[in-house]
Amino acid sequence: MAQAIDTTYENAVARRRNLRKLWLAFLLFPAMAILLTFVFLPMASAVWYSVYDWDGLVRGEFVGLANFQEVLFDARNNKFLINAFFNNVKVFIALMIVQNGLALTLALLLAREPKGYRFYQIAFFLPVILSTVIIGFQWKLFLNPIFGLVNTLLRNVGLGDWAMPWLGLPETALGSMILVNAWHWVGFPTLVFLAAIHRIPKDLIEAARLDGASEWMIARDIIWPLMAPAVTIIVVLTFIGSFNWFEIPYIMGGLEGAPAYSTDMLGLLFYRTAFGSVSAGNSDFGTGSALAVLIFIFIFTFSTIATRYLTSREVELS
Amino acid sequence: MATIELRDVTKDFGGVQVIHGANLSIEDNEFVVFVGPSGCGKSTLLRLLSGLEELSSGEIHIDGERVDHLPPARRGLAMVFQSYALYPHMTVFQNMSYALKVAKKSKQEIEAKVHAAAEILQLTELLDRKPKALSGGQRQRVAIGRAIVRDPKVFLFDEPLSNLDAKLRVQMRIELTNLHQQLQSTMIYVTHDQVEAMTMADKIVVMRNGHIEQVGAPLELFNKPVNKFVAGFIGSPAMNFFQGKIISANEGAYEAQLDNGAQFKFKTKAGLLNAEDKIDLGVRPEDLQPNQDGSGKIVGKATAVERLGAQTYVYLSSPIKESMIIHHAGDLDVQSGEEIEVSFNLESCHLFGPDEQRIEFDG
Amino acid sequence: MKSLRKIASMAVLSTATFAYAGTALAQTELDFWSWRQEDVKAYNEIIAAFEEQNPDIKVTFTAHEATSYNTILTTALAGGAGPDIMHTRSYGSLEAIAAPGYLEPLDGKIDLSALSADELLGTTLRADGHVYAVPFASQTIVVFYNKDLFEQHDVALPETWDEFLAASQKFKDAGVIPLANGLADAWTMEIMSGAFLPNFYGKDFFGEVTSGATDFEDERFVNALEKFAALKDYMPQGYEGVDYATMKQLFSAGQAAMFVGGSFDIPTFVSSGVNFDIMQGPAAEEGGPRMVATWLDGGYGVNAASENKEAALKFIQFTATQPFAQMLTDKLANVPAVDGADISDPMLAKVSDFHAEATPYIMLVAFRFNTPTGSTLLQNGLQELFTGKKTAAEVAADISAGIKSAE
Repeated sequence: MAQAIDTTYENAVARRRNLRKLWLAFLLFPAMAILLTFVFLPMASAVWYSVYDWDGLVRGEFVGLANFQEVLFDARNNKFLINAFFNNVKVFIALMIVQNGLALTLALLLAREPKGYRFYQIAFFLPVILSTVIIGFQWKLFLNPIFGLVNTLLRNVGLGDWAMPWLGLPETALGSMILVNAWHWVGFPTLVFLAAIHRIPKDLIEAARLDGASEWMIARDIIWPLMAPAVTIIVVLTFIGSFNWFEIPYIMGGLEGAPAYSTDMLGLLFYRTAFGSVSAGNSDFGTGSALAVLIFIFIFTFSTIATRYLTSREVELS
Repeated sequence: MATIELRDVTKDFGGVQVIHGANLSIEDNEFVVFVGPSGCGKSTLLRLLSGLEELSSGEIHIDGERVDHLPPARRGLAMVFQSYALYPHMTVFQNMSYALKVAKKSKQEIEAKVHAAAEILQLTELLDRKPKALSGGQRQRVAIGRAIVRDPKVFLFDEPLSNLDAKLRVQMRIELTNLHQQLQSTMIYVTHDQVEAMTMADKIVVMRNGHIEQVGAPLELFNKPVNKFVAGFIGSPAMNFFQGKIISANEGAYEAQLDNGAQFKFKTKAGLLNAEDKIDLGVRPEDLQPNQDGSGKIVGKATAVERLGAQTYVYLSSPIKESMIIHHAGDLDVQSGEEIEVSFNLESCHLFGPDEQRIEFDG
Repeated sequence: MKSLRKIASMAVLSTATFAYAGTALAQTELDFWSWRQEDVKAYNEIIAAFEEQNPDIKVTFTAHEATSYNTILTTALAGGAGPDIMHTRSYGSLEAIAAPGYLEPLDGKIDLSALSADELLGTTLRADGHVYAVPFASQTIVVFYNKDLFEQHDVALPETWDEFLAASQKFKDAGVIPLANGLADAWTMEIMSGAFLPNFYGKDFFGEVTSGATDFEDERFVNALEKFAALKDYMPQGYEGVDYATMKQLFSAGQAAMFVGGSFDIPTFVSSGVNFDIMQGPAAEEGGPRMVATWLDGGYGVNAASENKEAALKFIQFTATQPFAQMLTDKLANVPAVDGADISDPMLAKVSDFHAEATPYIMLVAFRFNTPTGSTLLQNGLQELFTGKKTAAEVAADISAGIKSAE
């Protein structure tokens, strides 16, 4: 008799557990369906496309890794690939220093809650919510060598010699775009850093202050290591953003990375290769997809390694 | 080792004054406890001393030197925080040595000092651990160790024991007292727990609403509280107060009546009180004794009885006072719900005038 | 009872079917896609004229964003969702959709007699020789000049290269920007080169370079580039960053005396009110030819997968007739590809006259079939040449190598 009761009890528990699993599956279904349709499927299809020969948009025969070979080793393509890749690298390094460095400085300043810091916080964040397309066009106008605000200002303050066709010179075009991007996005890492700094218990800062640490030492020895999780996020996002950089260079320098490919990016190269452009030639889905797959593998691998490495130096705030 | 002097120290936060002209002298090597209910300004006063907050007005002198314009680190103080404030990304050793590193001490000196402090606090085994891997008591000791290595003139403790469980708290209390003996330095300790204050302090500073109410040795405060607040705050369980009024005042001889009708006479300075003045008569629970022979002055019903073996607490409710507590050494044969009579001696009572200030009996 | 209901329901059903078939018979609906967003009104008027003669056909004109039109169109065609009729580009860009079989071959199906062989070349697939679209208009590269500024500074219209440089110098000395052109939009550099290079490299070069008898390292081409590069002294300050919109603005506002552009720029300047005229690029030497570079802008094609092919072909036939060409020039200020239109606009008539001495716009007409295209190579080469990063010989070598790698 006792045994019988036991089994019923166990059955009931098991039934309940199954029901819960079913319920969880039901709740997960919409998210999984969306993920599958809009993330995994396109990724899989890019891999699929990349192993076929394409005549424009018509799929030809299976060619194995020939498209990859063409992208990586064909002299016609790989000089663009190398050029674009190193431009992306430059963008990443420059954004790390300029955008994130500035964001860290701003966050450290704002964390001390100077007069009107709420205003500054909003002011720095405002460009982030603006559309990248609008910002690209707006800055293209600002940087216009003749009518642009930047050169007009420089001339008005007696720095006319500095007035330059910023987007027209291979030496200044990429730098200008990087600064525009920094202007656009600096509020985001600032906010993330600021939140991370606010999460650090005030006591720790005060303890360090009593220990005799200067503001700089407090920033270096206490705040910086304790905001590691935020730094991880920002570094990885900056990395991904830098290697997927598209809108700003597309709007401000065009599909060909003008002038003279000095602002060419992997994203632009992919677009030109896969979809073609009015003057640059016809679309080729095969090599385009191969390039997309390579970019994906590169970004995925490096951001995974970076995340692992950076996470290992994080400390939980108890 | 240092003397500290506060002169007319005030502090206001955005127009709200939280410290009202505090004056205080602390002797070299004293263990001073700031005590008071939460919000009384005791922590603020400590932070003003430490330099983490700036004074609104007044002066602070340490060893005769004015320091209120100096940054925290240059005042020669070390502070132990309520949260311990250990740097979570540093090992115990790094936590303890950080101040020395900042001060650019030599490696040998750092090693020596940290190990000496670790020895005192029994932390030697834990030097390579991170705070996360320590128990609450160990963290507490690291926080103290971090203060010790700096060789400060003054130690500041901000409710350092409040995050520990009761048993550990008692133990740490004793350890801290011993540490004080050992280090021979001035210590200022903030707590809201009057038991900690009574057991540890050389000198207690009782605070309320930003005012220093009384400064004195624990027993001085216990025996001669200057006002009703201090009387009620010091001592556990708290003092019972009975309200009454003066019915006649005659050249220093007074007659008073409590609300239960009991009348008594006393003498004090002439002119201190007038007829019809309201008074409070404070009686400590241990001075309120059950009057077994029936000559008691107050009759009440026991609402609760707590028997601890060595002592008994009885909570009484009577028509004149809703709740009072008596403390009886040893066991007492009273059941909850029973009526008992209690009485007290006027000599052991504390009398407070209409301004709640203490009135000393005279003869 | 049961059968009665059956009959009744059948009656309702057949009436419905009949009504449906009736409307279907009455009108065939055709989708017509284009990149000419600025021409929607004119096209709707032209379509209205067509529908009046063909009441059984209804054409819906949809214009997409110009720079992404190719992508939109090819994606739709590949997905089987393309329009019945479409505006196609010419030369290499036409091949991109003709070669995979998305377009219906037109020769033999409609009458193309109103079009010259030269013009049909732009819409012919080289691989099979079939015509896949009806050419609609040609574009011509001309030099716009501000009549007021020439008068005001007493500058004579330059006919030779030396005169052109002298005139430019005179404007520069007077504080007027001689040439509005800049580098920021690379394609405008290719356009600009079209006004100058051909007169330096001469009449024969095109034939020789397309047949493979010579390449772009040819002395004539290098020399042409070298001469052309001298113009950077007469472009606006900061010309490296001057884009298409700025160029047009400089010329429209009377800040620049000249602007090299396409015949498609005429309407912009007409509406801006600037007092301008057009001329050919200068001759290399006194008495030399003053050729204008021309190309076919695009055509009208039929989707091979269209379900309304018959109606679509009817419309396409219409685009190959004189009345259509007349409307095209009247309403859209184009020089129509189809013969027989009477060009009433004096400016267009002038462009048409320039065609007496025309040369193919070299990279678009002949080198836009493979990757990298001649246009890409030339545009970037010119940016490098005008920013001083490379010499004429280096740029020519790059172009030559690029073209060879594409073959």
